[in-house]
Amino acid sequence: MSAGQEKTTEARPHRWQMVIDLDRCTGCEACVVACHAENNIRISGAQEAAEGRAINWIRIERYWEGEYPDVKAKFMPVLCQQCADAPCEPVCPVYASYHTPDGLNAQVYNRCIGVRYCGNNCPYTARQFNWFDPHWDPPLQEQLNPDVTVRQNGIMEKCTFCVQRIRQGKEQAEREGRPVRDGDITPACVQSCPSTALVFGDGNDPDSQVAQMSKSRRGFHLLESLGTHPAITYLKRLDE
Amino acid sequence: MDVKRRTFMKALGLTAASTVLPGCDAEVRHLVPYVLPDDEIVPGIADWYASTCGECQAGCGIIVRVMEGRAKKIEGNPDHPLNQGKLCAQGQAALQRLYNPDRLQGPVLRTTAGSEGPLTATSWDDGVSRLAEKLRGADGQVIMISRPLSGTLAELLSTFVRSVGGKLFFYDPDSELSLRAAMQRGLGVPGIPQYDVAQATYLLSFGAPLLEQWVSPVAFGIAFGHMRQGRPTRRGRFVQIEPRLSLTGANADRWVPIRPGTEGLLALGIGRLLLTAGKADLPQKERAAFERFYGSIPLQEVATGTDIPLDQIKDMARTFADAEHPLAIGGGAACAHTNAFAAHLAINGLNALAGNLNREGGVRWYPDAPFPERTDVEWLSERRINELAQASAVGRQRPLLLLYDCNPLFTLPSTIPIRRLFTNASFIASFSSCLDESTAMADLILPDHSRLETWGDHVQDGSSPRRGASLIQPVVTPLYNTRALGETILDLTRRLHPETELPRTFAELLRKRWDGLATSGQSRPPASPSRWVQHLQKGGWWPSNSTTMQKLRTSFPAPAYEPAQFDGETSDFPLHFYPYPSPTLGQGRGANLPWLQELPDTLTSAIWGSWAEINPATARSYNIRQGDIVRVHSPHGSIDAPALHYPGIRPDVIAMPIGQGHIDYGRYASHRGANPLSILAPLFDAASGALALGATRIRLEPLAVPGDLVLLEHPGTKAGTDLLSIEKPRRAEG
Repeated sequence: MSAGQEKTTEARPHRWQMVIDLDRCTGCEACVVACHAENNIRISGAQEAAEGRAINWIRIERYWEGEYPDVKAKFMPVLCQQCADAPCEPVCPVYASYHTPDGLNAQVYNRCIGVRYCGNNCPYTARQFNWFDPHWDPPLQEQLNPDVTVRQNGIMEKCTFCVQRIRQGKEQAEREGRPVRDGDITPACVQSCPSTALVFGDGNDPDSQVAQMSKSRRGFHLLESLGTHPAITYLKRLDE
Repeated sequence: MDVKRRTFMKALGLTAASTVLPGCDAEVRHLVPYVLPDDEIVPGIADWYASTCGECQAGCGIIVRVMEGRAKKIEGNPDHPLNQGKLCAQGQAALQRLYNPDRLQGPVLRTTAGSEGPLTATSWDDGVSRLAEKLRGADGQVIMISRPLSGTLAELLSTFVRSVGGKLFFYDPDSELSLRAAMQRGLGVPGIPQYDVAQATYLLSFGAPLLEQWVSPVAFGIAFGHMRQGRPTRRGRFVQIEPRLSLTGANADRWVPIRPGTEGLLALGIGRLLLTAGKADLPQKERAAFERFYGSIPLQEVATGTDIPLDQIKDMARTFADAEHPLAIGGGAACAHTNAFAAHLAINGLNALAGNLNREGGVRWYPDAPFPERTDVEWLSERRINELAQASAVGRQRPLLLLYDCNPLFTLPSTIPIRRLFTNASFIASFSSCLDESTAMADLILPDHSRLETWGDHVQDGSSPRRGASLIQPVVTPLYNTRALGETILDLTRRLHPETELPRTFAELLRKRWDGLATSGQSRPPASPSRWVQHLQKGGWWPSNSTTMQKLRTSFPAPAYEPAQFDGETSDFPLHFYPYPSPTLGQGRGANLPWLQELPDTLTSAIWGSWAEINPATARSYNIRQGDIVRVHSPHGSIDAPALHYPGIRPDVIAMPIGQGHIDYGRYASHRGANPLSILAPLFDAASGALALGATRIRLEPLAVPGDLVLLEHPGTKAGTDLLSIEKPRRAEG
């Protein structure tokens, strides 16, 4: 983390962060379905997907290394990096993408006018645009999570770190008159991950698991050279 | 046919529970997480119910979030010892089985003979009485094929089918029967034991897809994470041996592309090296048997046969011998050949040679089940189905066929005349909740509830250290006019054996059996309504500590190693063919769930279709471009699929995922992709009779027309737009 970031974090109560241990990730995609179920992500179908219009807030990128027979495939879950210096934010003409006090890159759906500048500016392809209205064959709409808005045609959307769960966790802590404990809040992807490759928590709490793990020598950030200061730290997969 | 009340009840294990059960008083009902009546639902407040997942046989604990009486999300049950709050993609997608738009909404009947007539709706009373009538007239010629069941429903069904003089079979294409048979022979355990991957330091996997839909995917996922990074000072090493790099293989430190069908041969070589190095700690008497078995093939022959350099084999053997907790697992590709049973004996024997039975990081079995187990239900192998089908073709008997939640017409190759078993049946009744290829042949369908609408239980198998049982409970009121299979069976029993005194509902039967749980020894407190409520809230019952372990011993000599057989002459069919269960769709069961159809295959990013994986070098020699259709010819037919250049496959192998190619399985699955099972030869594992998935040879015919391959990566662009290739030149610039 840069010195500048540390300075700005003092005023913030939380800095939500994630650590993704690539040595644990098996590419099983439990996180992907968890995200679809939690966040009412539309089902695109084969045709729209073939046109590049499918929506995934989290995807597993796969990298081939080497040539047969010494070939390896490596996985990397990629989702919105919730950058501290997010390229998507300053370009929005209507302040639909803005920085929350907790350090999240939020997307205010009812401000969004669909200019897609933010998606254009995101180096991680984390933002995805709704080119069509969502559709669920009845009664599949019954599965929709009432805590999460369904996005219509013309709206940009992306991973929110399951902001509805963060809010719920904070409210619960407030009701009980205590600070949010480490582990109280888990986004859907983190919760489902069988091998515990994903860990979530408050980076401003020095004792939290994320704060500890992000100090690992294996740690790196995605496209670090761009200076976006992501909230997600990846831990390198080890080789033999 | 003549089953007296006493025997029926005894068979169900109910005779002990003769005391009057206290009804649910108001206070208790308040605690019970039963489905809430409408007036107790608070809008906007989520209720959580514990239950058990039914997508595979593992039986993970789930909790379901319900709002306004509608199930919203399925998550892992944190209290469940097996999955500890985690859940795989398939388990989560099971929500779409409840809300599947193609579910059958009530009993339907075919009024005209044959499978062509239209299905018309009927009442439950009419449907059940028709089936009872047919069962009465069947004269004991009844065959029931069901997906493997557990607990109370398995008991009830098996008792019922016996009471009508019929035979119940369990059938699951994923059951890895050759591995089970080898476990029975080699270790004397009736199932797949616990492989303690979490504590292993060197994991040698012969094709076992343990990080996919295999045996117990979530438990293996948890264990894998622990093996890699859960111990402060050591990281377990992992080698995967298989002709095609699977999702599991991608997670290994090293992939060994072995020649198809020679997994057992490699295990012989490694075992021989362990024995000659004097690493195996065996009594003198057993040692001779082991040496005979493992010494049967010279090392150089092993290296040539497996297509693995001798040095590499020696290196694997050395590392295995020196590792603190070495562990050998076979499955998947090693189960796919005619010599699978022998191969598994050789692979499992490595654990015995390494002194790896009954200990941490090794192989263990826990025999103490909370309920007496049914062992008399036969698991159908594909060879057995073949025999049944052949017999029905020549015999004059026309059996009555009952089907539950399995689809043999899709999961069996067309070379097995299973269709004849169907067309020859005097009457077919299905209890499946969706139309599929097999249920579409039925004369009568009495659709089961969805898993989230029904009662039941699941007994964990002996691979679980805290071996208990999980409860299945309804979390929503049924959406449609369907009925739980248990209720239908009770109804049928009442009609066929009116003298039998039965519990009013299946839930009552379940409850009585669970009350018996507390009195069946094992020092548990007596049954009480509040205990039942606790079980429901927790999602089941598990002992707090590890149960007793069975001392495993390997018994050799085993049958000698045999080479795998293949169908098709090498000259006409130069390539091997390996259809593998899709990591997302399994053997096709998941294909009607849109979440799983749209879930990218991790290694290829392909969605909504099927494809044929081809080594880029082979593709060049055939001049096949990515996405072009290839026609795959086997001696038994051909299928078309778009080609996908896949770096992780031997040049002499073509692989295809199983799961697509449905004809009749709802709007999301039907007429999408191709079913690679359809062109397989009827070759089986010699000992267990399991279908040898990889035993068919093929040739390729490039059609040079683009197919409908949908990939999530680089839509419409050339390679090089991914994150790493953007970053690499930047880093180089400094």
